[in-house]
Amino acid sequence: MKETVGITALVPPELIYACGKRPMDVNNLVPESSLSPGSKLCAWTAIWRDMILNGGLDIDSLVVVAGGDCHNALVDGQKVELNGMSTHYFFYPFDRDTDYLRSQLEKLTRFLGGIKDEKMFSLISDLKSKGRALDELRVNDRARASDVFSALISFSDLCRNPDVFEKTLNNVPETDVEYSSRIALIGVPPIYPDFHETAESFGLHVVYDELPYEFLRLGGSDLDSLARSYSEYSFAGSIKNRVELIKDELQRRRVDGVIHYTQFACHHTLEDEIFREYLDYPILTVQGDLPRPSSEQLKLRLEAFSEMLEVMP
Amino acid sequence: MNIGLDVGSTTAKVVHMEDSEVIFSKVVPSHRWIELINDGQDDRNIVSTGYFRKRVPRFAAITEITTASLGARYHDPDVQVIVDIGGQDTKVIDLRSNTFVINDKCSAGTGAFLELAAHYFDIPVGSLGELHSRATKGAQINNTCGVFAISEMISQLVGGFSMEEVIYGLHQAFAMRIAQMVPPANTVMLIGGTVQNTGIVDSVKNVLDSKIEVPGAPQLVNALGAALYMERLDDSG
Ligand code: SF4
Repeated sequence: MKETVGITALVPPELIYACGKRPMDVNNLVPESSLSPGSKLCAWTAIWRDMILNGGLDIDSLVVVAGGDCHNALVDGQKVELNGMSTHYFFYPFDRDTDYLRSQLEKLTRFLGGIKDEKMFSLISDLKSKGRALDELRVNDRARASDVFSALISFSDLCRNPDVFEKTLNNVPETDVEYSSRIALIGVPPIYPDFHETAESFGLHVVYDELPYEFLRLGGSDLDSLARSYSEYSFAGSIKNRVELIKDELQRRRVDGVIHYTQFACHHTLEDEIFREYLDYPILTVQGDLPRPSSEQLKLRLEAFSEMLEVMP
Repeated sequence: MNIGLDVGSTTAKVVHMEDSEVIFSKVVPSHRWIELINDGQDDRNIVSTGYFRKRVPRFAAITEITTASLGARYHDPDVQVIVDIGGQDTKVIDLRSNTFVINDKCSAGTGAFLELAAHYFDIPVGSLGELHSRATKGAQINNTCGVFAISEMISQLVGGFSMEEVIYGLHQAFAMRIAQMVPPANTVMLIGGTVQNTGIVDSVKNVLDSKIEVPGAPQLVNALGAALYMERLDDSG
């Protein structure tokens, strides 16, 4: 059985597989969790931390993404390490410095025991092409956003098994989608397990999921190309670059309105004003805390936003 | 005839319109909303809105964000920002950018906060405006959290301020809380039942630089917007 490496955010999954291990994005179980963590800021990190501490996540080691991403994860990751978990800290550069990222990838490779299976790079690259095709399918109104989202969000760890994951991708149903407005969902992914379904129920077709798109956009076939590509990871770098990337996607995907999801106690919440200033679209900001099915408050906002985009000139 | 039915958390309102003119309106406590619908009345000309919009007979249900936008524009086509102060939440709608924010996490800046204060003084909430107007100065209330503002209010009473001055201070704190949600604008329209409290309107005028408008029947704007929406549906056949 391959060793399982927990990851707290985007860590090049092709590298983990190439090192003969399998990644498990510890966030993926959070939306379905009913845990109410004791000490918490952001519920994402607090819940995976408690799940690991309680033995509820079957991982052999943990890679914590800290630099350029999340300090809550850095602290909660250390709590897990203090409890005896073999833990590695991975830092993205803020300034897209590829040499720096290459040195980080080298350290990570050593932690993972070295590259053993180079063909995983091309195998995963092929799957990412499939993912991008799926993404285009919903842009062209040929697949439901909720189906596509659950496939794309899994690209961080490819469901721990690329062969099984490929079948999942092949099984995403193709269907004509009817809707009233096209929506971009920016920010960290919603912690609600049914966000896309709820949005769909109000006629909102999500044609862009910002973070999952990063999973598809970045890749590589060796340390050099990984360093070049992943140094562009938009969430880790300057907001200016991120805004430019988002703007291009909003235009390309013919978006009518933007939903900015923010997580309680997450520093990304502070970016809301920047998006409101630089993105010339109607923006709805929603904030979540604990993972629960969509609340009435959230439904009211989505319904009102949908009406606003449809009824108002 | 087009009917707008707004069943909110505390009151229910109905507006009947014909040829874009209001011909009838009525307000009752929410749990008596049934009195607003005549026996045998046809649901096919009712648009409902408010908290209980999907629990009442209707042809269509729309949110208060849309009804407020339509209703406020009926009163002033050029209004830029709407502040709808409801019983349980406050909504701020910027019509220039089609965006809105809803405060439903904290009672400060909602009707519930004033209910709490009136309850403490054992006076009807409707008398707060009159008491406010009798004060020549206000007690300073800094807290924007509803619960803490009430304890601060009690401290100010202990410190010698009169009930009128404390109410004035509360309204001021209320307006500050609202102001945090309002973007810079030339014209801001206040709507919702709470706005019948002239103390609130005074305080908002003190705090915001914008021109503040209050329509004739601020509590009916959402029902009016719902009736206008029904009219639109009618026109589009
Ligand atoms: S939502 Fe924000 S605080 Fe929470 S894990 Fe993600 S980046 Fe960190």
